[in-house]
Amino acid sequence: MLKRLIFVGIVGILLLAGLQSGSLIAQDKIPVRFWHAMGGWRIDVIDRMAADFNLQFPWIEVQPEFKGGYRDTLHAAIEAARAGTPPHVVQIFEVGTRLALDSGIFTPVEDLISMCGTKVDWGWYLDAAMEYYTIDGKHYSFPWNSSNPILYYNKTLFEQAGISLPKEPTYEDVYEAAKAIVTGGYADYGITWPVHSWFIEQWMAEQNQNLVDNDNGLAGRPTQTFLTSEAAKRIFRWWGTLYKEGLYAPTAFEAWAEAKRNFLAKKAAMLIYSTSDVAAMGYDAASAGFEVGTAYLPVPTEVPRTGVIIGGASLWITKDLPRDEACAAVDFVVWMSSVAQTIRWHQNTGYFPIKKRAVEVLEEEGWFERFPNFRTAFDQLVETQVTSATKGAKMGAFLEVRTAIGNAFFRMKELIDQGQSVEQAVDTALSEAKQAADQAICDYRAAIGEPCP
Amino acid sequence: MRAGYPNKILPYILILPAFTILVIFLYYPQIEVFILSLYRVALLGLRKTYVGFENYYRLFTSPKYHYSIEISLIFTISVVIVGMAISLALALLANQKVRGARIYRTALIWPYALSPAAAGTIWLFLFSPTAGLVNYFLETVFGVSPDWIGNRTLALLMIIGTAIWKNLGYNIVFYLAALQNIPRELLEAAEVDGANAFQRFRAVAFPLLGPTTFFLLIMNLIYASFETFPIIDIMTKGGPVGATNILIYNLYQDGFRFFKTGLASAQATVLFIFVLILTLLQFRALERRIHYGA
Repeated sequence: MLKRLIFVGIVGILLLAGLQSGSLIAQDKIPVRFWHAMGGWRIDVIDRMAADFNLQFPWIEVQPEFKGGYRDTLHAAIEAARAGTPPHVVQIFEVGTRLALDSGIFTPVEDLISMCGTKVDWGWYLDAAMEYYTIDGKHYSFPWNSSNPILYYNKTLFEQAGISLPKEPTYEDVYEAAKAIVTGGYADYGITWPVHSWFIEQWMAEQNQNLVDNDNGLAGRPTQTFLTSEAAKRIFRWWGTLYKEGLYAPTAFEAWAEAKRNFLAKKAAMLIYSTSDVAAMGYDAASAGFEVGTAYLPVPTEVPRTGVIIGGASLWITKDLPRDEACAAVDFVVWMSSVAQTIRWHQNTGYFPIKKRAVEVLEEEGWFERFPNFRTAFDQLVETQVTSATKGAKMGAFLEVRTAIGNAFFRMKELIDQGQSVEQAVDTALSEAKQAADQAICDYRAAIGEPCP
Repeated sequence: MRAGYPNKILPYILILPAFTILVIFLYYPQIEVFILSLYRVALLGLRKTYVGFENYYRLFTSPKYHYSIEISLIFTISVVIVGMAISLALALLANQKVRGARIYRTALIWPYALSPAAAGTIWLFLFSPTAGLVNYFLETVFGVSPDWIGNRTLALLMIIGTAIWKNLGYNIVFYLAALQNIPRELLEAAEVDGANAFQRFRAVAFPLLGPTTFFLLIMNLIYASFETFPIIDIMTKGGPVGATNILIYNLYQDGFRFFKTGLASAQATVLFIFVLILTLLQFRALERRIHYGA
C-alpha cells in the first residue's frame, strides 16, 4: 500500500514538473541514448523502465540499447566518442571506473546535477554504494546495479548431516562444515565458487587490506599490488587446504555457471556467489529438490570482519553534450534511482535497492521476511565499514590484474598436485601473480604517460 | 597472352573491382595495424605515443609470449596432422560400398554444421570434471576422474580434441570427393599387377589425393591458427595458467580484454608475417611435388 502511495506521489510530482515545462512538449523530443550491458531477460526490464520514463517525461525520448558485455559497452562508448557520436548515458562496471575516468569522455554527474538544478541528496543513497563511485570527494556516476558475494548452502543437506552454519561464518566454520559433508558422504565436495578474482578482492577487503597502493588507487594511479601480503596468503592457504583435502570443487577460469551448476546438482553443499542471483537461486534449488540457506561471506578466523566491496555497475553521462540533452540525461538517471524504480529493479533482478528509503519501503512491505535470503545479502552490505579497502581498488589495468589473480589459483593447484606443501605453493603462486599484476599496472601507467617510478 | 588484350587498359579495369576490395578490406587495415604497432596506445586510441619497435621488443622478450608460441606450435601441428589423418581414414571407410553409406557420410559431416561456439559448449559439458559425461564413465569404469579443466596437459588435449572433431566434417567432404574422382581403371590396374589394399592406397590413391591434401593442409593451418578462437574462449579462456593460450587468443586478450592496442597490433603483424612465410614455403616446397593429374 505504502509502495503504491509513494509511487503515486512520485508520478504526481513528475507530472507537475512536466506541466511546468509544458512549453517544451510541442518541440521535438530530446533524445537520450542509453547504452547498457544487461543481457537476457534484463533487457526487457530496462526497455519497460525506459518506456515508462518516456511516458512520464513526454519531451524526452530515452532509447535504451543493449551493447553486449560490460567490456563491450565501455569499448563501444569510447569508440563512439572518438567518432563524435557518443551515447548520453552509459552503464559502466565497477572495475572500469578508473578506465572511464582516464578515457576523459565523461563528465562528473555531480557537476551536471548542479548545472541543471536537479535536486539530489547524496544522503538518500546507501553509503557503500555511493562511496564506490566517489573519487577525490566527487560523485562521478550514479550507482545503479549493485551486488556482492554471499555464501549459499544446501539447507536440506546440512540438516541431514546434522550441522549448521552461523550467520557470520569464519574460514574455520566453513572448513569444518565442508569436512563433515565430505567425510559423511553427503556430497562429493563441501564447497565451490568460481575461480574469479572478485572473491579474492572481497576477502582482502574483509581483512581491511588494500589490493593496491596509493590508498587503493583512490589517491592516484597505483604502482603495485599487495598480493604477497599476509591477508592474501591467508585467503590462498585456506583455499589451497580446501582443495588439497578434496573439499573444494575447482571450476574453470571465471566459470560462474559451472560453479552454480555444481551446487544445484548437489555436487557441492556450499556455494559462494553473487547476491544478484538470490531470487533465482531459491527457485532453482526448489526445483532441484532442496532448500537454500544463506550466510555472510566467510572470513579468516583471526581477523575481524570489515565488510564487502560493492560490485555491479553505475550510470555515467558523457561530456560536451548540449545543455538540454545533458539535463534530460540527468533526469533519466535520477529517475532510474528513484525509490519506486529502485524497488522495481531490486525485485525484478536481485540487485540491491541502493536508496535508503527504498529499503524502508521493502521492510514495511515484509519483503525481507518473505525472502530472508535477500536479508542476508542486504545486512552484509549495510554493516560494511567504509574504508579504502571496502571502497574497492581503482586501477586502469584491473582486468589484467584479475586474470593474474585467477591464474594464481591454477598455479597453486598445480604445485599442490605436484606434491608441494600448501604454504610453499601459495608463496610461489602469489609472488608470480604479483609480478604479472604489477607489470600490468606499470604498463597501464606507461601507456597513459605516467610511468612507474 | 598479350595478344588476347589489344587494349592495354582493359586488364587493369577488369581487376579493379577485386583489387579495390582487397585494398579496402585487407591492405589498408594491415597497414593501419602496422602503424598502430609502433605506438603505445591507451584507451583504444584516445592517447598514442610513438615508441618505434618497442612493442616488438617486448613481445619477443616476454616469457608469456614464448610460452604462447610453444603452445601454438603444439596445438596447430596436432590439430592439422592428427585431424587430417583421422579425416582421411574416416573418408576411406566412408567411401566403401556398404549398406547405409549415405547415413554414415552425413553423420561424419555433421559436426561441421555446428558453430565453433556450440561445439565448445557441448565439449565443455562432456569434459566438466565434476559433472561431465566423460568423467562419469571414466569414474565408473576405471575409477579415475581427471581434471580436464585445471591440468595444463589435459586442458590442451581437450582443446586439441575439440578442434579436431569440429573440423572433421570439412576434411571428410573434400577427401570423399577426391576419392570418388580417382579413376577406377588405375586402381584395377594396380590390383591386376598384384598390389594389396595398402599398396594400392600408398602408391595410387594417396598421390592422386595430393592436391586435396595440399589444399586441406593450408585450410587446416588457417583453421587451427585463427578459427579455433571461439572454442578456446568458451572452454578454457586460454587457461589454466596460459596452457591453452594460443597466439590468436593472446592477441585477443591483449587487444580487447586488456586494451593494449599497440601490443596487440604488433602481434597481429607478427602473425601476418608468420602466415605469409608459411604460405610461401608451402607453395615452394609442396607445389612441385604435387600431381594435379593429366
